[in-house]
Amino acid sequence: MIEVSGLEVRYGAVRAVRNVSLHVGQGELVTVLGANGAGKSSLLLAIAGALTPSRGTLHLAKKDVTGYSPERMVRLGVAMVPETRDVFPDLTVSENLRLGAYIRRAQTSAVNADLQRMYTLFPLLKERQQQAAGTLSGGEQQMLVIARAMMCDPKILLLDEPSLGLAPTIVNQIFEMIVELKATGISILLVEQNATKALQIADRAYVMRLGEIAAQDSAAAIAEASDLRAMYLGG
Amino acid sequence: MVELIQFGIDFLSLGGAYALMALGLVIVYGILRLVNFAYGELIMVTGYALYLVNGTALPWLVMAAFAVFIAVLTGIATDYVAFRPVRAKSVTAVLITSFAFSTLLQNAALLFISPRPRNIPLPDIFSRTVEIGGVITPVRNLLTIAMSVIMLALFAWLMRRTVIGIAMRAAATHFTMARMLGVPANLIISSAFAISGLLAGIVALFWLGRIGSVVPGIGLQPLLVAFIATVIGGMRSLQGAVLGGFLLAFIDTSLNYSLPQDLLKFRDAFTFSLVILILLWRPEGLLKGPASGQRT
Amino acid sequence: MRHILTAIVLLGLIAIIVFGIELTGTRLMVRIATNLCIMLVLVLGLQVFMGNSGILSFAHIGFMGVGAYVSAMLTIPLQMRSMALPDLYPIVAHIEISPYLGILLGGGIAAAVAAALSYPLMRLSDAAAVITSFAFLVVLHTIMLHWSAVTNGPRTLFGLPNITTLPLAAGFAAIAVITALIFKESRIGVLLRASRDDEIAAGAMGANIPYLRWLAFILSALLAGIGGALWGHYVTSFSPKAFYLKETFVVLGMLVIGGPNTVTGAVAGTILVTLAFEGLRATEGFLNSIQLFSKPVIGLTEIILAMAMIVMLSLRPGGFIATREIGDTVMRWFKFRDKTQ
Repeated sequence: MIEVSGLEVRYGAVRAVRNVSLHVGQGELVTVLGANGAGKSSLLLAIAGALTPSRGTLHLAKKDVTGYSPERMVRLGVAMVPETRDVFPDLTVSENLRLGAYIRRAQTSAVNADLQRMYTLFPLLKERQQQAAGTLSGGEQQMLVIARAMMCDPKILLLDEPSLGLAPTIVNQIFEMIVELKATGISILLVEQNATKALQIADRAYVMRLGEIAAQDSAAAIAEASDLRAMYLGG
Repeated sequence: MVELIQFGIDFLSLGGAYALMALGLVIVYGILRLVNFAYGELIMVTGYALYLVNGTALPWLVMAAFAVFIAVLTGIATDYVAFRPVRAKSVTAVLITSFAFSTLLQNAALLFISPRPRNIPLPDIFSRTVEIGGVITPVRNLLTIAMSVIMLALFAWLMRRTVIGIAMRAAATHFTMARMLGVPANLIISSAFAISGLLAGIVALFWLGRIGSVVPGIGLQPLLVAFIATVIGGMRSLQGAVLGGFLLAFIDTSLNYSLPQDLLKFRDAFTFSLVILILLWRPEGLLKGPASGQRT
Repeated sequence: MRHILTAIVLLGLIAIIVFGIELTGTRLMVRIATNLCIMLVLVLGLQVFMGNSGILSFAHIGFMGVGAYVSAMLTIPLQMRSMALPDLYPIVAHIEISPYLGILLGGGIAAAVAAALSYPLMRLSDAAAVITSFAFLVVLHTIMLHWSAVTNGPRTLFGLPNITTLPLAAGFAAIAVITALIFKESRIGVLLRASRDDEIAAGAMGANIPYLRWLAFILSALLAGIGGALWGHYVTSFSPKAFYLKETFVVLGMLVIGGPNTVTGAVAGTILVTLAFEGLRATEGFLNSIQLFSKPVIGLTEIILAMAMIVMLSLRPGGFIATREIGDTVMRWFKFRDKTQ
């Protein structure tokens, strides 16, 4: 589905992502683990087209999409949920969701059907559909951002730290939703610090350290690996 | 009572015009966080477009539509000439390029038309007066009020009910996020400039209608008005711009009624000192805009 | 060493222009060179603030006006004073000081006005800073336009003693170059330039940035005031519209095209734009004299300057001389030659 090879992302002189290669298959849930500052978010932003890689290539369904703008990536079916959880605070919940379907705005009936689907998946959002998104709680905002990303009917969903700063019960809910989304057949690339949770639901996992891939294997094998902790702490 | 009606009409017609001017500036600032110094020239361009079609057999409304259309085109041109090439580089660069573009347009008017005032065609209805509750007032003032109500309603509908409007409001808070939903950045920005041109063009018809002619420097006063109104109302809030416009009109009208003649000359100094004080007290303006965002 | 080299090169350049023209020049050449030197003082004044703090200021030309009017008020000969400024306040109406002192005092009062009013503005950055400085210009302009007792209102004020010669203007230009260089390399200048690139980091280093900006702003206003007074004593009559957006545009254009971050850039931009301006003015005059077009050609100069600014900012946002002063360039050139030999 998506194929990253030799990717490098720079902020001025700092190389946040160095020579990273990974792939996500059709319908696969792949997680990227790593400590703060390991370059996970930069990697995801580069895949979404929001950062331009200084080196390396990005292929989507065998097509070279390196250096595409974020708008173009969305149209190709790549939806991004950034860690900053950017709801549009003065837009209502339903406006946020409708904007998620910007690229398919002509297909009114399909969009409306998806909107109802999201409301069934996230009943809390339905209750608050006329409320300004800025007034939602952190967990509700996270659900809104995921639902909004789903509104563009993506082939692959990039999720950046969906559990960040949320209460444990909410985190459980969010992870359940990710599993449900996977069941619909889309590919998911999940960046997480909460390794235990992420490994429970993922098919495969990569571990990033200091901008590089330090390990990769099936989720089960990574979960077993005794030196995971060491890699995390940068030992 | 008569005085009150007089004051009300003066205030509302001035406030409507000010509010539209401020909106035209804020719609661009809200999305890009960049001030368009060439904004006043949109009004100038409308005036010269009217002047150029003066004397043709066209009905006035067609001439006016043509002039507003030229303002919209100039708005979009501002984006291409002054903003797009330097947008990503620095805030200062854009201020300078838009200032340069403003000078360019003014001097083009000097060079190709004339430094002297040029008459513009006005419909007869602009020069008529009516009596309301014992007050004799120009019909033009009432038309200004009506037009600003219509434009504000249209603008509200555009921003609340259309996809492009919602996308523009979204882009004003999180530009990159909006792009990651597939909202094309350049289209949004060009639309903002087009709307800016539309608002300026419409308001220009009435603003110039008071004066009856156009000169190259005509845009400065509207630019200043838009500055003050947006600063008072909150530099990034659309409602704030409207509020600021009416508030400024209220201050101006009140000063006109109350200040003695020799102090009235300093009115601009008073209002601009007010701007400085407000910005010092609240750098974001009186009404806070939506949460912080970033440019690209 | 390299800073001294920069100073020597730039001062040498001014000296060559002045002596060359004094020896051989026509009156027209002297006029252009004098104008150039006055513009140098103004542009360098703006460079001191904008180049170091990175903040655009529109207020600069307002301070130029303050300098010109202060000096005018105190130096117009008494026998002309009652005609030029009939309503002048009695306290100053009978004081006549030397125009040289007037120029310095013009700068001093401009600096004092800046010092008194601008401190709170220095906290602001980006759009808020620019709009306040623009508002500042409008306030100063409105006051000049309507404070008839001191400025003769919107009418032309005349009768200033004509003392600005080419050597005097060149002398002040040289002082401005040295001041701008010293300020740039001083502790204040270095900290300010650090804040320009990263405000938070410079603040974390313990630099009180608003205070540093304030100092730069005062120095900038001082030079603007001196430049304004020099100009006043050169043209001997002016009205408030000389200190508004058109002049702001020209000074800003010179700085932006040359490179606001370097003193060399400011000097180069001033020279370049002055020469281009004179060439274009001559062209305009020529076109008008042969009456090629049915109406007079005006505004062409500004149109071309505006286009040059937009093109420059799109292609080279730092101007012609973005980062390296001429001294550095020369030193590098010598080092390079040593290596290759």
